[in-house]
Amino acid sequence: MNGSGEIELYAPVDQVWSKLMDPEVLADCILGCNKLELIGENKYRADLSVGIAAVKGKYDATIELADVQAPHSYKLIMHGEGVPGFLDAEGLLQLTPLDEGRTLLSYNYNADVGGKVAAIGQRMLGGVAKLIIGDFFKKLKKEIEKGQQSA
Amino acid sequence: MKQNRIGQPMARVEDARLTSGQGTFIEDLNPLPNIHHAAILRSPYPHARIKAIRTEKAERMPGVKGVVTGEDIARMTVPFPVGVTAPVKYYSLAVEKVRFVGEPVAVVVAKNRYLAEDALEAIEVDYEPLPAVVDIEKALEQDAPLLHDEVGSNIANHRFFDYGDVDRAFAEADHVIKHKFRFPKYSATPVETYGVIAQYESSGNHLTIWSNFHGPFTLQSVMAAALQMPSNHLRIIIPKDVGGSYGIKSGVFPYMVLMGVVSKKLGLPVKWIEDRQEHLTASSSGTDRVTWIEAAVKLDGTVTGLKMKMADSVGGYIRAPEPACLYRTHSNSTGAYRIPNLHMETIAVMTNKSPTGLIRGYGGQQLYFPLERIMHMIAEQLGMDPADVIRRNLIQTEEFPYTTPSGGVYDSGDYTAAFEKALEMANYREFRERQAKAREEGKYLGIGLACIVEPSGSNMGYITIALTPEQRAKSLPKSGSAEGATVSIDPMGGIAVRISTTPTGQGHETVAAQIVGEVLGVDPQSVRVIAEMDTLTSPWSVASGSYSSRFASIGSSAVYKAAEKVRDKLLNIAAEQLKQPPAALDIENGKVIVRDDPQQQLSLKRLIGSAHWNPQGLPSGMEPGIHETAFYSMDNALPPDENDHVNGSATYGFVADAVTVEIDADTGEVKILDYFTVHDAGKLLNPLIVEGQIMGGLVHGLGGALYEELAYDSNGHFLTGSFMDYLCPTATEIPDVTIKHFETASPLTPLGAKGLGEGNTMSAPAVIANAVADALSPLGITIDSLPLTPSRIWSMMQDAHKSTKQSKEVPI
Repeated sequence: MNGSGEIELYAPVDQVWSKLMDPEVLADCILGCNKLELIGENKYRADLSVGIAAVKGKYDATIELADVQAPHSYKLIMHGEGVPGFLDAEGLLQLTPLDEGRTLLSYNYNADVGGKVAAIGQRMLGGVAKLIIGDFFKKLKKEIEKGQQSA
Repeated sequence: MKQNRIGQPMARVEDARLTSGQGTFIEDLNPLPNIHHAAILRSPYPHARIKAIRTEKAERMPGVKGVVTGEDIARMTVPFPVGVTAPVKYYSLAVEKVRFVGEPVAVVVAKNRYLAEDALEAIEVDYEPLPAVVDIEKALEQDAPLLHDEVGSNIANHRFFDYGDVDRAFAEADHVIKHKFRFPKYSATPVETYGVIAQYESSGNHLTIWSNFHGPFTLQSVMAAALQMPSNHLRIIIPKDVGGSYGIKSGVFPYMVLMGVVSKKLGLPVKWIEDRQEHLTASSSGTDRVTWIEAAVKLDGTVTGLKMKMADSVGGYIRAPEPACLYRTHSNSTGAYRIPNLHMETIAVMTNKSPTGLIRGYGGQQLYFPLERIMHMIAEQLGMDPADVIRRNLIQTEEFPYTTPSGGVYDSGDYTAAFEKALEMANYREFRERQAKAREEGKYLGIGLACIVEPSGSNMGYITIALTPEQRAKSLPKSGSAEGATVSIDPMGGIAVRISTTPTGQGHETVAAQIVGEVLGVDPQSVRVIAEMDTLTSPWSVASGSYSSRFASIGSSAVYKAAEKVRDKLLNIAAEQLKQPPAALDIENGKVIVRDDPQQQLSLKRLIGSAHWNPQGLPSGMEPGIHETAFYSMDNALPPDENDHVNGSATYGFVADAVTVEIDADTGEVKILDYFTVHDAGKLLNPLIVEGQIMGGLVHGLGGALYEELAYDSNGHFLTGSFMDYLCPTATEIPDVTIKHFETASPLTPLGAKGLGEGNTMSAPAVIANAVADALSPLGITIDSLPLTPSRIWSMMQDAHKSTKQSKEVPI
């Protein structure tokens, strides 16, 4: 399972970058993320609860930011495990400055899902992945633009 | 009474209890106090090393009695024996590694199933994922991920066979026609899933297991060996009602051992009932197979030689009775055709999928799909009608008993008559005209044909063909197809029959009652048949159980022989009292009468009474009581010879199918217009049951042809864990089916009967594929894999349209 996309943000690169590196922002923007705690440099532990089709459940996840090249790009590596199955995902986020203080955020990801989630919910997985990622960027955009207004 | 005789459509005696909610299935059983409930933690990974399992949290949860892991299993059992030389270690729980999604990793026992399932979530397993392989051809490659280090490759069994002069047949052929076919992994989906109740008594080292297991009882010794118990300390009890199996429930045996160990470790009786997701993910299934087939063909369509290389995926572990799927049809590898020269290469390969085992049709659907497709392809390449190619090669009536190149002995049949009947029912010529007209209108109509031989009553020796003659020579030869039955009569004249054929819905109680009723001259309705099986009290042998359609050929014969023994005893008692030789007496309507002087008669009740109440009045030397057991086997079920010839089955029936289809040009959906099937299963014992069995088998075959597949992605993740993704045919998918019977009696069985009920499971995938290929032939589409889902057919049609467009655009 893989995908890619891009989104235009009305904020300069530096500002977008700092939001993207802020664990509180990440925790707020990831659907079903109950807790996100720093466990090492650029490494977090997260509690996620996600329901896909009939398979609802909690996942213990680690999220790692690798190849961090401030303020341009990083790789997000995620591994989640729970009773419903597991998820291994890797995404690359890149920021490109645009005119008028805007930033283009482009991303691509591939994910491997296994266990009960794959066995029961495979028809839904692609859609759910899109939904989770779409939701993440929607919230992120809101967060950034909220920051813009208050600034 | 006549209407219930053998061969009459007596209504099933089982149905009254089943339709009134009084059936007793494994889940209904509560044979012991204090039963606790088990839940199983399963691997989400197709292939991974288990680095650690932490169970402390789960063990501390309320109501939890204990947890069992692979460490316990490795300590308390040895790997299951299996009939190959590859050193595969298969245990009932994963030990050190997991090799398929859904493989059991740990068991929790608690006061109830809810608490047990909750506790599963508290078990922590550290996995180190390994690369997985699910594709048969990839698994055979040198650098494929290796499932079992100690085996050294993924091949569990590999053999070559040569019969006749294959090289000469191919050298002298006018055409050599070859193709590669893929058959999918699919299952049967009994309404009742697996269930086990196990109780270990430490005082005597006795283990009693109740389960909906239906044999083969060769597996009793496999279980006892894994448990390292004397076999008479392992008592297995099968309830009389089992909610369907179609072969799949023989795969419950690893769970029987697992729950035995759990009960032993925790000192409690335990019950485990499989849920539907577990069943689809990890119970059992047929093998998926790749077949490379080559036919040596003469100009007139005569096939003189066949080469087949077949590779079966047996899943993460080869387990008994595999690799039997490769060999169950070994004796009838050339099908209904007179093909004297045969070369075969057989491979069982392990892949990161669930382990396989018995399934209705076992090996037949995998064999006939390539064989019947290649017969149609021969017709296509030679510009002949497929019906003519079949006609030219069918074994002729006067050739019976016919010996196949691999050693099968077909006992009886009239294949041509049955095949011509199928063509006549389908209005074959007329349909060809209709098809031509439809094509002009842009419609895709097709007709498919298939002729298959349906083996029944497996010879225990066939599976040893997996070994070379030299390897076989090292152990005791295996042969026969033994089954037992007991007929007894109590002092008041009540007749009871005990069978060991572990029916799973086929109505054995009814047919056994018909047979005993007829032999003893009483109303079958008055005969009580006990189908519950108990390995400590039932008359059974290794071959016992419900598989290979063995009731009609073997099981019913054992019942018949036991009833005959009782009849002989009663006639001998009567002969002395009537002062007539036994041969002068008849038994009917509850009496023994002197044939030539019917006024002279004695009631059965009186004769039975003498045997019980007045043993002193019996003919001298006769034992008191009436309790007779007979064992029946087939004389022709011999061990394989040193040239690998084997007669793998007791009897061989025949099925000729003709199926018409229309393909929706817009959606690719296959609509079956008509399904005609002509059967020859020898003498029919109960036509009503026959009808039901044929329909069930046909619908199972329809599933394999059009809908069902246990699908995995290329990384080994299992994708069809519910009925939303694993599609089974339901009532609305059942086409119009017309069944016709020929009854060429088997000369070998006492009642002339042969097995049936698996035939259309074997033939339907082939005949439907032939019909679809015929419909799509104007587009140049080749059908060589299944199931024929609308999306697959639609894609092929799109590709075909594109390529014809392109070729049109090429400038001349």
